[in-house]
Amino acid sequence: MSAAPDGAGPADAAVTMIADEVRHILAEVTGRPEMLGIPPEMPLFGQGVALDSLTGTLLLREIRRRFDVDVAGEDLNLDALATLGTLAAFVGEQVVGDGGAG
Amino acid sequence: MPAVPPPGCADLCWFDIRPIRPGPADLAELDQAERAKAAAFAFAADRHRYQAAHVLLRRVLSGYVGVPPAELVVLRVPCPQCGGPDGRPALPGAGSPHFSLAHSGDAVLVAIAGQPVGVDVEQEPQGCMCSMTSAMHPSDAAAMAALPEPERHEAIIRWWVRAEAVLKCTGEGIAHGLDCFPVISGPAGALVHGCSVDSVTAPPGYRAAIALAGDTGITRLTVRAAWDDRTWPVITTGSPSH
Repeated sequence: MSAAPDGAGPADAAVTMIADEVRHILAEVTGRPEMLGIPPEMPLFGQGVALDSLTGTLLLREIRRRFDVDVAGEDLNLDALATLGTLAAFVGEQVVGDGGAG
Repeated sequence: MPAVPPPGCADLCWFDIRPIRPGPADLAELDQAERAKAAAFAFAADRHRYQAAHVLLRRVLSGYVGVPPAELVVLRVPCPQCGGPDGRPALPGAGSPHFSLAHSGDAVLVAIAGQPVGVDVEQEPQGCMCSMTSAMHPSDAAAMAALPEPERHEAIIRWWVRAEAVLKCTGEGIAHGLDCFPVISGPAGALVHGCSVDSVTAPPGYRAAIALAGDTGITRLTVRAAWDDRTWPVITTGSPSH
């Protein structure tokens, strides 16, 4: 479960795209367009945008549906949920690890 | 001073936070953890909702126990699943009333009962919620799959507020999953995860539910403050007129 590997230009681009997709999911589930402009270091749970339990659950379910990545699965990775950036990086790792970004 | 409701009963207080602007004197009633939490929100609307909800909760509880809002100590009962520190909030003392706080959009709901209680309120989401069925107990998910839209959308919201009310009542929260027990597909009147559950009449555009621990049923819900009751005399500062 390391961060992006060396020489990860394409991976960085993928994570940037995933972060954008997550922003769109956040705007949809909260009904708040200001989510489209949040920075990667923005905390998602407990502080920052502090998603409530419904929007937090919808976010993780939508990520599972769109990326086939279960962030809230057996090995719930709390570090991955810290910020928009860590969540996008985690999803990127899982997608790349599964051999395709769809 | 209102009495703590008897078994199977609960008091409900609804608030519309739009006209409520807590001032420094109101916010001084919050404890250090509440103030730190409020300061950590990125958006002013979230901070306002949190501050208003917690000031209102303390004012309501103060009326039941006769302790000034700022002097109330709100504890956390350990999570019954994992023993973690984020279980149900409670007042110390064996005879203290149980309570639950929920907020969403402009709505705040406080419930008071003589037994562990959980409430949830949600502003009805506009977007598709179908992905939520993967979080449900299989029998609930099957019940949803059989419904046409928009009945399914409505049933998912009804499922959510009931599941959330139950988990707030037991103190488990949602981190342990929502799929361990059926919420709406069991027999009518059956206990849900050891709780009696019912819908609560909510303001337009909102859904709400309540859960009471045990098999008392839910025989009476008394609305002590109504959604459109702007005379609730709790916020004393921030008035636009001087």
